[in-house]
Amino acid sequence: MPDADDIMANLDYNRDVVGVDYDVGMHEVTEEQVIGFANAIGETNPMYLDKEFAAKSPHGTLIAPPAYYTSIRLESAPDAEVKFGTTGFNASQHCEFYEPMKVGDTISAKTQVSHVYAKTGRTGTMVFTVRRTTYSNQHGRDVMMVESSMVRRDMNQ
Amino acid sequence: MSQVYFEDVEPGYEVGPVVKNPTREQLDAFTTVWGSQTGRFTSDEAAQKEGFSGVILPGNMSMALLAQVITDWAGSAGKLKRLECDFRRYVQPGDTLNCVGLVTDTETEGDESRVIMDVYIENQRGERALQGTALVLLPNKP
Repeated sequence: MPDADDIMANLDYNRDVVGVDYDVGMHEVTEEQVIGFANAIGETNPMYLDKEFAAKSPHGTLIAPPAYYTSIRLESAPDAEVKFGTTGFNASQHCEFYEPMKVGDTISAKTQVSHVYAKTGRTGTMVFTVRRTTYSNQHGRDVMMVESSMVRRDMNQ
Repeated sequence: MSQVYFEDVEPGYEVGPVVKNPTREQLDAFTTVWGSQTGRFTSDEAAQKEGFSGVILPGNMSMALLAQVITDWAGSAGKLKRLECDFRRYVQPGDTLNCVGLVTDTETEGDESRVIMDVYIENQRGERALQGTALVLLPNKP
């Protein structure tokens, strides 16, 4: 079995996009979307659901649950287009939440492929593509960062 | 909702297990909001072509369910600051998911009272579908 270094040396992927930031759109955080998302994942926290409660909170308005970012539809950005294996999966996510997204915010996102690497384990070789997406608000402050790792491998390994 | 305080928590403290039973309707609602066109999340036929018995949940959705358990526990004055998850097993509608947080450490840094926990989702076969760590800030007792 070829080792991970051999795989990387010969791997067919788009090296030009690695480390390059791309703008992937803006998103208006609305009351309807925040409450809709909160209900969809079974939230009960009034910070996400109760306008009157939230108005009296330090935020002064409804805030979005941390995982709300999963519902933000981003424009597509150039991908590393890794040609390896027969199937791809989400391997892991690492989220850092700096401050909440609030109703009324305009969130902009930028993304980059930060890293492509191979790993060989007992179930064979896998190739990981790590993408870092940063979300900022209309004040220019980063509100969160997500590092998402996709893996490609042969389905029957 | 009740508020948990930093002083209430020590290593070994357990959040949950909170049982979640994601349904096909919830999955469809999530993928609609998410705008995913990926076949294995929306079409049984596409999922079967990839070797699954039927549609599976996006990892994002399982992670959102786990995040909800943590933020629900942390209350209005608590904050989820960091969540890291590995996706280890696929999850399907109809699965019974035990969502758990197990506190491994507590610390005070500046004006932050931090709780560090292992978090995971275990399915009805006792397999870890998601596994990771979380950092939560809790308020101090008044």
